[in-house]
Amino acid sequence: MSSAAEIGYEVVRGVTLRANPARDPRFTVVGDQSEMVTLEPGTPESLRELLHTSINNEVQSLEVAAQSLVEFPDAPWDLRMCLARQCWDETRHVHMFLSRLLDRGGWIGEFPIINQEWGTVCSIESLAARLAVQNVTFEAGSLDVLKQGIALWLGWGDAETAGVIEAVLADEIGHTRFGDTWLKTLQTGNPRVVLDVVRTLSGLRRAAVALAPPDEALHEVAVNSADRALAGLDAGGRDPGSRQ
Amino acid sequence: MSLNVNERGDYVATFRWIEVRLMETLAAWVPTTPEMEVKLVFGAHIWDTAQHADMLGKRAAELRLPMHDELAPSPGATDLLAEIAAITETDKRVAAFYNCVLPALETRYRDYLDRVDQLLDGPTVRVIDRILADMARMGTEAVQLLEEAPAVRLADDSWTAELRRREAELGQIVVHRRPAEPVAGAK
Repeated sequence: MSSAAEIGYEVVRGVTLRANPARDPRFTVVGDQSEMVTLEPGTPESLRELLHTSINNEVQSLEVAAQSLVEFPDAPWDLRMCLARQCWDETRHVHMFLSRLLDRGGWIGEFPIINQEWGTVCSIESLAARLAVQNVTFEAGSLDVLKQGIALWLGWGDAETAGVIEAVLADEIGHTRFGDTWLKTLQTGNPRVVLDVVRTLSGLRRAAVALAPPDEALHEVAVNSADRALAGLDAGGRDPGSRQ
Repeated sequence: MSLNVNERGDYVATFRWIEVRLMETLAAWVPTTPEMEVKLVFGAHIWDTAQHADMLGKRAAELRLPMHDELAPSPGATDLLAEIAAITETDKRVAAFYNCVLPALETRYRDYLDRVDQLLDGPTVRVIDRILADMARMGTEAVQLLEEAPAVRLADDSWTAELRRREAELGQIVVHRRPAEPVAGAK
């Protein structure tokens, strides 16, 4: 039983991405990172933009997990259960960040959004490789970013948002953990899956370079060793997901 | 006439098949539904339907069936669910799922409860009781959605009524795999 509205593909800066998921007219969807707004960090407007971007990131994570349920109907049932649970978690995260955005005077559609996380992950054809990218790279990277975010929001005097991020971080540990566990399971005794994952991660690095704006400044984010360990990851491992 | 173990297993496996398809339908609708509020409700209910399927699948293994056994319902039912899954308009998706599919499934669950002994089939009764409680909450959340986003309320009630009529006309949807072997005297 597949969706009547199939989502195709598009090419951005030479990288083939899944075309945009549906968004309502309130949103301004851009296709290139250079079209996103750049604001002075720590200003009220930039904090709203952070929350607005977080909302769309969580929506994309919901859509990625949902699409994997659709496109891999023969995946082990227990893995499908993990993806289904992730769907619910991501909807809760959207509500949490939306509440903070509204509380700070923002609104849906206030800033442009970009759907490259969806575009990148859903262009990958195997579930193992999607888990490697979405859960073990992007979500693992978010463990580092979110931990830093708690301190930043506290520093900006917004303990409520810091509390939201703490709750989101706890959920992301679970998403990373199940991704890592199932990735190992799917790879065990199956060198073809291992090669596919390696090839996909190699392509991801090339895509990250191609899609980044030429003048993007990279910020080092400290590795969140404790939460990576809870997720079952090697604390020393770095990946494109922790690059901001 | 009460249902024997084989028949109860077929019902449970059929209900699981339906819940898995509902999960997949909602999952397919999430990226293809523009309205964010609707997308979020569909996304949350993916987890509800997955849990229902999981509970039923585990119960199937207690009724002499493989773990997570599934049994496709009658062709009319599979066709109707496929037709609903293929809906593209948001207002019709919401109306079909919350005003037709869920109420109809609730009726079928309640009909099953009426046909089994609460003690003999106690574990299935508990599973379905929990599912019905979830479905009541899902219905409430759909009502709240329509209050929050009235634009996705289907204006044409006759469309939903026709869908419900077609669902009701399906009648019995469980396709039993073995001949019925009723136990004499058992309720």
